[in-house]
This record gives sequence, structure tokens and C-alpha cells, in this order.
Amino acid sequence: MGTSLEAENEALKRRISELEAELANRSNHTEAASQQSHPPPPNIANEREVTLSLEEYKRYGRQMILPEIGIEGQMSLKRSRVLIVGAGGLGCPAAAYLAGAGVGTLGIIDHDTVENSNLHRQIIHSTSRVGVPKVVSAITYLRDLNPHPNYVPHVEPLTTENALQIMAGYDLVLDCTDHPAIRYLINDVAVIMNIPIVSASALRTDGQLVVLNNPPSVGPCYRCIWPRPPPAESVVGCGEGGILGPVVGLMGVMQAIEAIKIITKNPVQEVGRTTMTLFAAYGASPFRCLKMRGRKAGCIACGSPERMEEKITRESIEDGRMDYVAFCGGRAGVRVLEGGERISVTEYKKVVDSGVEHLLLDVRDKTQFGICQLEGSLNVPYSEFESSKYEDSEAEAIKSKFEDQPKDRPVYVICRLGNDSQIVTRQLKQAGVFPGDRVFDIKGGIAEWARSGVAGEFPEY
Amino acid sequence: MAENNPTPTGTFKILYFAYASSHTKKSEEFLPAPMQLSELFGTLDKKYPRMKDKVLGSCMVTVNLEYVDMNTDEEMELKAGDEVGIIPPVSSG
Repeated sequence: MGTSLEAENEALKRRISELEAELANRSNHTEAASQQSHPPPPNIANEREVTLSLEEYKRYGRQMILPEIGIEGQMSLKRSRVLIVGAGGLGCPAAAYLAGAGVGTLGIIDHDTVENSNLHRQIIHSTSRVGVPKVVSAITYLRDLNPHPNYVPHVEPLTTENALQIMAGYDLVLDCTDHPAIRYLINDVAVIMNIPIVSASALRTDGQLVVLNNPPSVGPCYRCIWPRPPPAESVVGCGEGGILGPVVGLMGVMQAIEAIKIITKNPVQEVGRTTMTLFAAYGASPFRCLKMRGRKAGCIACGSPERMEEKITRESIEDGRMDYVAFCGGRAGVRVLEGGERISVTEYKKVVDSGVEHLLLDVRDKTQFGICQLEGSLNVPYSEFESSKYEDSEAEAIKSKFEDQPKDRPVYVICRLGNDSQIVTRQLKQAGVFPGDRVFDIKGGIAEWARSGVAGEFPEY
Repeated sequence: MAENNPTPTGTFKILYFAYASSHTKKSEEFLPAPMQLSELFGTLDKKYPRMKDKVLGSCMVTVNLEYVDMNTDEEMELKAGDEVGIIPPVSSG
């Protein structure tokens, strides 16, 4: 009996040393594999020593058993340092999947606080964290999801002053932002630092996804594809244009996939051609995959422009010579009217209470008008005034919309935020639709009407 | 988007995305083929006043799902049955 136990003990000891040898062998192999790993992305510091705890083997097992990941891929994830710029509709799902996958260092930068209108899409924030900085809220969620990664909070906007310094700490950046100016900034800094960018965007029911500067100095950058920014007036945010939660969520999830693919790239895998994915939720073919070209030789960010002084460099960003907001045409509020042509919501309330006959013209689109409207208002959407600019006679086109309206009453124009209504007020006056020039813009629009509480409870959306 | 319409003979299909679609008020249409790529923006600008200035200047263009360079691919001809995409940068998220 004693001998058989001793024999079993010996056998077990042998098995343990065999396994230990195998494990040592495997980690040597891992180091070797990661040392020769493909240069792109070059900043992924292969020398960073990492090990997985037993808990992590179990946690990541379901993805580790995929040949695309394996133990080498898992180690690469743990060594990687990923920066997510923007903790909104794209950044939330991207951060959750990357934290869950075991990225070693996850930095998140955002200067905003959580609002309740974010929650239909920004799924890692919560009702109880409304008012909390988004970065803090995000990390609260992520720590609970996976305590292993090193989470780095950056509660500030990304600017020309801090971008070079912040991005120096990362190997990969996810562009989850909401304005062209910051997209160009991220691009230029990433190109200078040889960091690939996983870029996505979404508006209404559509999305775009593209991996840029990958591998650095081979793949195209944002400026190769879109050298000129969109005209400022065409830049619509989710607050104005609307966004379907799962559409932006899908784009963020796809960013996480691309990030994992870049980080875990096996040295023997070919670097694929850059593609752009367009998603249209209501399209007959919702996904379109576009073949892109490599970087443009004359690109001012990643190429050699004909006029070398145009080349964007570390110095041109640091010296503040790059004015990204001006490049994108700014985004100042519309101010086309004089003080006397505008009245406040309180003044308009007095007009209503006094019982003076007037016309309230609401220029929001039909969908928004359907959500809530002020009593007795006439809805003629702003887009109709826009189209009238292309008619033979703008004035006649506008006049025809008010044929059956009495012309001797004052007119008050309202929209959602008080920008479109100013433009329409100007158009109505120029077209001379209402004699006597008694056309007034209501400052701050429906949003201000609701916020001020001037007429009691009114929905704010 | 009714993308299932077959392309009528002698035309190519053009798809408008994001604010290109807001400007033209349609997501796709058919234009007469053949057409030189270099004539495309001019043709669209005539059809949709100020489109070059307000939309096309900032757009990427694809032909049959491949990126084309409006400067270096000028010689290219858009043929019957081709699919052209006008793709503005979308920046929100």
C-alpha cells in the first residue's frame, strides 16, 4: 500500500516537472515570437514582460482558444497600451470590449460629464452617474467588468498642447470623437508618432469605419482620404442630427475588433489592404466595404508635400501654428440678426398672454414638430426655406408658402436652438413677405422655452 | 435606400452618402454613361446648384467600391453599369 502511494507521488512529481518545463518552454517561445513580431505597430513595446494569472487564463480562455488569438495574442493584448479618445457612443462599447479582452493599459480621454440624453447609446455610463465626468464613470464600469487592466483617466479635452505628450504613452489610438477638428488633430499626432488609428463615426442611422496609418507610413491617413474638412455648416452632431443607439454601438464594437486584430497580429499574417466599411442600417445592402489605396505621396501629414513648408510636424503642432478649429471653419453660433429683431422666450410669453393676434412660425422638421409644439404654431421646415434659394426667384418661392396667411399680424419665428430661426427671419424680411417688417426671432428656440420653464412644464429633447 | 433597382442601359448608378444625400435629397440615381471622371463634379454641380462648393470639395469618391483619386485618375471613364459613391467625412459619434 505504502509503496503504491510513493510510486504515485513520484509519478505526480515527474508530471509536475514535465508541465513546468513545458510552461517555461512556452513562455520562451512566446518571448521569441513577440520579439520577432512584425514591426507594425512599432510602438507596441515587445520587451514589456507580462504574465497571466490563473484567473486570467480562465477569464480569457474563450478567446485564447481561437487560433487567431492564442497565448501569444493574449500576451500582446496584455502588453498593449490603447488610448480611447471620447467616452461617448463609440468609445463606450469599444472600451468595454477592449477592457474585457484584457488590454494591459487602457487610457480614456474626455472632458464631458454624463448627461441623461447620452444613456440610450453610451452604455457603460448609468443613470446614477449623471453629472459625473464620463472618464470617471467609464472607468467605474470597466473596473467592475475587468479589474486587471491599468486604466488611465484623462479628464480633459485633447488639444494641440497636450496631444503629443498624452499620445506618446500609447501604441494604438481609437478615434471615438465627434468633431472634424479633433479628428485631424488625432490623425496628425498619430502619424508623427507612428501610431495606427482605428477611426469610426456615426450619425442618424449610418456609420463609417476605417483603420488609418496602418502600418504607419504605409496605410493612408485621414488627410490622404479627406484632405479638405467638411464645410462647417454641414457638420451635424448627434444632438442635432439624431443617432440610433445600436448604430453607433455597432461602429464602436467594430473598432474594438479592428483594435484586437492590430494588437494580436501574427507575424506571418499579411498586412491587408486598407478598407473602409460603410454601414447603413436602413439600406438594402447595409454593409459596403470599400478598397482604399496606400498613403498619398503628397499628403501634408504622412507624405512629402510639394511645398515642404506645408508639412505637418511635431514643431508646427507644438508651436500652435496648427489651428484645427479655424481649419474646420469654427463652429460659432449663428448670429445674423440685430438685437431689435430678436425677442426672448419671456417676452414671447407676454405676447401670448396679452392675446395679441400673431403668427408663430416653427421651422423645425416635421419629426421634431411631432414630438412637441407650442399652441397654434404653423410648421414650415427650415429645409423648405433652404431649397427656395435654388428657385428662380427665392422671394416668390417663399411668398407662395404664406399665400393663405393674413399679412397684417406680427410673426414670431422659432426653431429648436435659435439658429435656423434667425436665418429664416432674415429670409422672410428680405423677401418682403410680411409688410411692415414685423418679423421676430425667438432667442434660444424651443430648447430655451423648455429650459426656462416660462410656460410651466415643457419637454426638452 | 432602394438599392435593388437594376441599372438601366446606358447609365451608371451614383450613390450619395451623408450630407451629399442631404444636398441632393436622394440616396441614389442614374446618370448617362459614358462620362469622363473629370466631368463628374461639373455635371453634379449643374444639376444641384453649389454642390461642388458645399459638398463635393470635401468628399471621397469610389468607383465600383474602389477609391479613386479625382486628381490623378482624371482620365478614367465611368462606364454603363458602374457604381459611383460620393462619400463625405462623417465626424460625429
